[in-house]
Amino acid sequence: MTAISIRSLSKTYPVPFLRLRKFFRRPAKDPVEALRDVSFEVETGEIFGLIGRNGAGKTTLTKIVATLVQPTNGNVSVRGNDSVEHDELVRREIGLATAEERSFYWRLTSEQNLLFFARLHGLSDRYAKQRIKDLFAKLELDEVARRRFGELSTGNKQRLAVARAMLSSPPVLLLDEPTRSLDPLAAARMREMISALAQQDPPVTILLTSHNVAEVETLCTRVAVISRGSIRALDTPKNLRDLTSGSETVHITVSSGEKISLTREHNDNRLDEAIRSLQQRGERIIDIETERATLLDVLERYEAADERR
Amino acid sequence: MNALKLLPRRIFAFVVRDFRLFVSYRMQFFLRIISVLAVVTTLFFISKIFAGFTDPQFSQWRDPLASWLTGLAVLNYFTTGFSSLANSIRQEQMQGTLESVLLTPINLPTVIVASSAWDFLETTFFSFLYLFFGRVFFGVQYRGSFILAIGFLLLTTVVLACLGILSASFAMVFKRGDPFGLFLGAGSALFSGVFFPTQLLKTYAGPKLGSISLLLPATYGLDGIRQVLIEGHGLAEVTRPLFILLGFLVVLLPFSLWVFGRAVRRAKREGSLIQY
Repeated sequence: MTAISIRSLSKTYPVPFLRLRKFFRRPAKDPVEALRDVSFEVETGEIFGLIGRNGAGKTTLTKIVATLVQPTNGNVSVRGNDSVEHDELVRREIGLATAEERSFYWRLTSEQNLLFFARLHGLSDRYAKQRIKDLFAKLELDEVARRRFGELSTGNKQRLAVARAMLSSPPVLLLDEPTRSLDPLAAARMREMISALAQQDPPVTILLTSHNVAEVETLCTRVAVISRGSIRALDTPKNLRDLTSGSETVHITVSSGEKISLTREHNDNRLDEAIRSLQQRGERIIDIETERATLLDVLERYEAADERR
Repeated sequence: MNALKLLPRRIFAFVVRDFRLFVSYRMQFFLRIISVLAVVTTLFFISKIFAGFTDPQFSQWRDPLASWLTGLAVLNYFTTGFSSLANSIRQEQMQGTLESVLLTPINLPTVIVASSAWDFLETTFFSFLYLFFGRVFFGVQYRGSFILAIGFLLLTTVVLACLGILSASFAMVFKRGDPFGLFLGAGSALFSGVFFPTQLLKTYAGPKLGSISLLLPATYGLDGIRQVLIEGHGLAEVTRPLFILLGFLVVLLPFSLWVFGRAVRRAKREGSLIQY
């Protein structure tokens, strides 16, 4: 079942009061084309990654899905509800976590902040308090529950943003760089939690935007590469890597200290042959390292292509 | 329907939030109470200059202190009526919290109404303080029906809130430079008869400037409230300001809602809803 459907979506930010500027012969900038004919679908329970450089259109796309910005053309529907026609229904279905620190009330505690947003979601106080307690336990925020938001560390602020997105248990989560300010351990736990959310019953659908391509590669079932407002490629991380280069370099270190490197095509038997021959020579394999194309290479490839155009 | 059912709950959420933010600045609260007392005391001594000299044609000004205190109390309320709606949007925009509020299943008109609720409660308290200090410390007498006076106050506040909606629409599109706030903010104190009878404007500033007060809803609201509280008039005697205010409401309410709807659509199209 489709959770998010995006069809022929375009967004051009108009220049405010353009006609008035022209009338008074004032200089006017060109309208900014942020998205151009974007179409894709995200299935229920899928973790869908969106990667691209700054200004590629990721935030605009997320904001349109979150009903904060209206598209110029095309449409977005979340679990069958159109983001313009039924924006309130869409907002019931989604939770958005951004890395924006200013989206909280700095003089309220973490708990008071979440309780306020829970009430706006229409949750009863009793349920909201229990839910907040559970989320604080899940995201290791218990210790800062009664601390003012302004006193929290950047990592805790980010975790609180994720907790807020999950408050009403929405079936669709939009996560914008959810691990950006977290320490490595906390980031790993956050990734585990995101994975678990997609596997729970009923599953949560996740649209993940991140600059951490390794994270996207690990978490996402499919990834879209967005560049200059257009989707340039969309596939599984593995297929995207193969698009760039089907080959990988393998570095083998053996017991005698010798280091052997070989380049192999995906699915060929060169590595088996090399290992067999080393074993026949009585060598013991100490270490094997693989160098293969990453999503970063994919991103670079499309960016370079776009720059040439 | 569901949104209507949830409205009281959402208003409660905003009131609790704003109360918590308010009490996080305790000193400010006590200083405001002291400043109200200081203003009332100052006006008491100024009123003594005019003791026995009031022109009998200004029937509402026989006790200038009573007139000033009702004027200030009501002006406070009116100011909130037209400014808090726009301010609520601006404040959320500047804090950066508007986006997160709008991500909940709540529409913008509800955000505006609910986030102004605390302003009205706070203003009610401080407006009441003017009257309370006048009565308790300086023996100011109020006559007539308080219920009728409150009815006038509410009606005028709703009319001014319509102008507040226009002001909020302006804040959404132009971000700054709200002409309604300027006109009503400066205009109400000068032209609505808060500190002196509006008739004096015509006498000293000429008929053109004097007639500006006729365009302001606050003039009729204040006139009605003073007629009730100071002159002790009943409903039958205050029909003129009452019908004029109703006329303002009939014209301004649909117009302001229409403008507001257009402003929201424009801001969403431009993606500038959260900018300030």
